[in-house]
Amino acid sequence: MLLKRDVFARLCRARDILGELEDPAPSVEAVALRVDISPSHFIRQFEALFGITPHRFRTRVRLDRAKDLLATGRHSVTDVCMEVGFSSLGSFSTLFTRRVGATPSAYRRRVHPFVQVPGQLERAWVPGCFGLMGTLPASAFRSFREA
Amino acid sequence: MRIKLTSIMVEDQDKALEFYTKVLGFQKKHDFPVGEYKWLTVVSHDRDDLELALEPNANPAAKTFQQAMFTQGIPLAAFEVSDIAGEFARLRAGGVAFTREPTRMGPVTIAVFSDTCGNLIQLYQPG
Repeated sequence: MLLKRDVFARLCRARDILGELEDPAPSVEAVALRVDISPSHFIRQFEALFGITPHRFRTRVRLDRAKDLLATGRHSVTDVCMEVGFSSLGSFSTLFTRRVGATPSAYRRRVHPFVQVPGQLERAWVPGCFGLMGTLPASAFRSFREA
Repeated sequence: MRIKLTSIMVEDQDKALEFYTKVLGFQKKHDFPVGEYKWLTVVSHDRDDLELALEPNANPAAKTFQQAMFTQGIPLAAFEVSDIAGEFARLRAGGVAFTREPTRMGPVTIAVFSDTCGNLIQLYQPG
């Protein structure tokens, strides 16, 4: 697929709209119409460009936002659930656990100790790839030919 | 001092590995678990000593940078090809979204596509 410049810009705008977590959240079709792309093309083009459907993208943004809020430790799980646009605590907890690999409460317990300043994440807990080199086995520094 | 390793940030390392190996055609070189992420690198089929690390973009600062560059249409990596028209046709047929078809730019011909992991990638063919 070859996306013209204006279509590319509209799809980026749609990604931004989906990431704004408006309340109430517009339907995927409404987002498509807002950026002037036919709903029938929208999902296919969005997925080809961003590697994820619009609906799943919005869910991912919500869960990322939830992770940040939980990490600060200042909100209850219920507050976080509502804040990121889920209406059911059960579905939020289930989805969070499936995608993140820990329940919201367990995630908060794990990450919160890294928070140094209220409301401000100490980003050292997020790995910088090259900083992890010292943890690798020696074989990570040999090429196929040497092996 | 020499350049043997560089990296590109990706949204999801498993999906990135799938795209960079199965769609682009690179080979996986290293895949070591490091906490909840991985040390994951790929190489070209003819040069296994030059590695590209597929690095998680979990840091919000990384996401912000990556998204802004994408929106501006700026590629974050460039791969050399010897037949850009052929690669364009092959990748396009495989469902890859291009934002620029092969275009002559001075001494090179370039094309730009999305790697589906949050980055635009430039292909270039010298000469």
